[in-house]
Amino acid sequence: MLRRSWAEPFKIKVVEQLRMTTRAERERAIVEAGHNTFLLRSEDVYIDLLTDSGTSAMSDRQWAGMMLGDEAYAGSANFYHLESAVREFYGYKHVIPTHQGRGAEHILSRSCIKPGDFVPGNMYFTTTRVHQELAGGQFVDVIIDQAHDPGSDLAFKGNVDLDKLSRLIDRVGAARIPYLALHATVNMAGGQPISMANAREVSVLCRRHGIKVFLDATRAVENCYFIKTREPAYADKSLAEILRELCSYTDGCTMSGKKDCLVNIGGFLAVNDDDLADAARNMVVIYEGLHTYGGLAGRDMEAMAIGIHESVKYEHMHARIGQVQYLGEIIEREGVPIVRPIGGHGIFLNALEFLPNIPRDQFPAQALAAALYVDSGVRAMERGAVSAGRDPETGKNKFPPLELVRLTIPRRVYTQAHMDVTAESVVALYQQRAGIVGLKFTYEPRHLRFFQARFAPVEGDKVLRSQALP
Amino acid sequence: MKTIIEPFRIKSIEPIRMTTREQREIVLREAGFNLFLVRATDVIIDLLTDSGTGAMSSEQWAGIMRGDESYAGAVSFYRFQERMRKLTGFEHILPTHQGRASERILFELVGGAGKVVPNNTHFDTTRANIEHSGAVAVDLPIAEAADPTCLHPFKGNMDVAALERLIDDVGRERIPLVMVTVTNNSGGGQPVSLENLRAVRAVCDRHGLPFFLDACRFAENAYLIKRREPGQAGRSVREIVLEMFGLADGATISAKKDGLANIGGLLLLRDEALLHRASNLLILTEGFITYGGLAGRDLEAMAQGFEEVIHEDYLAYRIRSVDYVGERLAAAGIPIMQPPGGHAIYIDAAALCPGIPRDQFPGQAVVCGLYRVGGVRSVEIGSVMFGKPAASGLVHGAKGLPPRLELVRLAMPRRVYTQSHMDYVVEACCELGASREKLRGLRMVHEPPVLRHFTARFEEV
Repeated sequence: MLRRSWAEPFKIKVVEQLRMTTRAERERAIVEAGHNTFLLRSEDVYIDLLTDSGTSAMSDRQWAGMMLGDEAYAGSANFYHLESAVREFYGYKHVIPTHQGRGAEHILSRSCIKPGDFVPGNMYFTTTRVHQELAGGQFVDVIIDQAHDPGSDLAFKGNVDLDKLSRLIDRVGAARIPYLALHATVNMAGGQPISMANAREVSVLCRRHGIKVFLDATRAVENCYFIKTREPAYADKSLAEILRELCSYTDGCTMSGKKDCLVNIGGFLAVNDDDLADAARNMVVIYEGLHTYGGLAGRDMEAMAIGIHESVKYEHMHARIGQVQYLGEIIEREGVPIVRPIGGHGIFLNALEFLPNIPRDQFPAQALAAALYVDSGVRAMERGAVSAGRDPETGKNKFPPLELVRLTIPRRVYTQAHMDVTAESVVALYQQRAGIVGLKFTYEPRHLRFFQARFAPVEGDKVLRSQALP
Repeated sequence: MKTIIEPFRIKSIEPIRMTTREQREIVLREAGFNLFLVRATDVIIDLLTDSGTGAMSSEQWAGIMRGDESYAGAVSFYRFQERMRKLTGFEHILPTHQGRASERILFELVGGAGKVVPNNTHFDTTRANIEHSGAVAVDLPIAEAADPTCLHPFKGNMDVAALERLIDDVGRERIPLVMVTVTNNSGGGQPVSLENLRAVRAVCDRHGLPFFLDACRFAENAYLIKRREPGQAGRSVREIVLEMFGLADGATISAKKDGLANIGGLLLLRDEALLHRASNLLILTEGFITYGGLAGRDLEAMAQGFEEVIHEDYLAYRIRSVDYVGERLAAAGIPIMQPPGGHAIYIDAAALCPGIPRDQFPGQAVVCGLYRVGGVRSVEIGSVMFGKPAASGLVHGAKGLPPRLELVRLAMPRRVYTQSHMDYVVEACCELGASREKLRGLRMVHEPPVLRHFTARFEEV
């Protein structure tokens, strides 16, 4: 079926030069980076699909907003603009800016979780779970089983399994569950959305037991686009209306503005509860900054306020998700195994199927990301065993069901031709996959190891051999 | 030429909204007599802080446009790292979203119950971070620091003998590090001499203790060393800065002051083991090690700002413009902390309003008065900022803690206000001084548990 074009509802106003590299240069660079794409220098990267976080292109209006920054320490006009944008589009009562999303997670976890508590969520996210664990809580995955199956074509693979949630409540008691963390979309599942129906049911169940629901709203507008296009009752509603309804089923949110809100830095915590807002404001001043700037320059709050307005425009989101689908469809057409259905912010290569001969303790996804860089200078990110870390009790590697390489698409940055180059490289690599070599740790940090870990090939010195072994 | 002018001209301006005295009266009541709770658009001259309020240069704005927003390994980070290495001599440079994040990371790692951290004078967020970790923050300024009229050239110095006594009293193993704040903000923006830094370093060496700088205003301190310390006049500020950092094992820096940036901070470390632990904590709470919770463009602005701040024409203008306000206020009989500090004028509120008892917060009364008179926003640095609820047993002036000054700080944003703005501020202060007996004390009616000065509310007595 011919799909209607997703052409961008903007033209380009400012460009940033890229540096082309040779394969020999990239082979040197990946060794220097310990085969960890996080440790590559950005000037050695051609197309940077490491993350969609903070990498967006701002609009001319946002840049104009940058010039309107009110850098007063207290009571900046930009704060009030941001507060009213969040209230208008997300609908929460109290807005506390933070320097980025993890600042909001840090404060929410410290404010709500007591040692011995359980925090259910629809799949873990790396920084979120570490904050929950450091506050003494234990994360419990209550996402539906199909989320762990890369081949399942369910429309809302991010949904919470209400039976799993009920069983958890029965087992530990509602009193030991301070809140449920509801991710929309679910990053670690491949950018999969939750349905409005599911959000409503989760809310009913949690409210009955007095459990709060906090939305990880980082990519909530992208989730709303999927609700609009996949949940029939919402086809005629605007993204803004859908977003308001989704948020109404929750008690607050943590937000990394670096995704949906189209900014390079910034986040916020938004809550309805007055006491929690008070506690959070007392904490934000220690960790982030006074509650009217939260560790952000005034200009960055202004850019975020304007970005929120832009993010709920249908044409914007149609082009955004359309571009991701475009890349995914080319890759899939060539038979490369990816997570189905294609998610909102990236394409997730299924490394277990891509590299069935590399055992899991040789980190196939990490090897695939390194090899992709060597092949074409495209930078992707491992989302598998390296990201999952070790079990705090047994000290053993966790091997999550999904071992993925994420090609994350920054918003409004790359063109269709860039997507074509990326697809060509992935497909070429798939055809020479026998030349990819597994990896072993040479340095392993204790927390969030994927950021700074270093690796070496298990044999030889190249992660991508030009010629496959016989 | 005798007159020291700004070594720049204005490229971009921000309009000021004028208010009437009646409007300000309403604003003040709505904000619970706490200027932290007043909207910036209701302020005419904002001297609340010099932190993050500076005007960036066109070169810094060019850097803002050049910002590489890559999540990892951004070009902007490497440019920033190289500049900071050259400026400080430190190899390991961690960016943070601002100074208090550097402090939090440091004290989460080295603080904790039973620990004691000495400083010449801890600033409010430093103290809060140390106490939050369970450790005790001890101030050891020289005796002269307590006398607002004393003209000692380096009133920010640490009392080295008192440091030795503290180490003997509590034992070196309970002291994770010795910190010196340059310039000493809570003590009136007073500089610390190189001689004093060297003496503290020697004590630390003798006891095997790490020595850290809170280096937010390192350039202003270095310039005052050049101007005031015997034997230093012939050296460049860059050399003095290098020596200051060279004496330390680590430093926390808020780039919002001498970094001439609106946001950003740094943690400098030499110890590799501590660096690894700090990096892990940085990633968890701030951001990846090559962006530290900042946009790439902010790293560019910092790299350029830290370069501009050590230009001696800039520092001459900066220090002279603060002195100018101090001289005019002193000439008008307003009691101020002498000599004027590097970044602010501190009015001695206790001397200005002897009729208001300390428990009615004379500093806060002056702050409210200045806002009423001229829409000038200043900040209390006294019993509101550093006092504690009586129930905590940590009331200042209690055993072991020196009595505090009741000060009102007029902090000068860098490169923002002109001489005519300053003349207006002086007039407002003089008008307040003339009607000082009409000032009324305040009673705190809402008191948050930590850093209460930010969100407390008051009523007039």
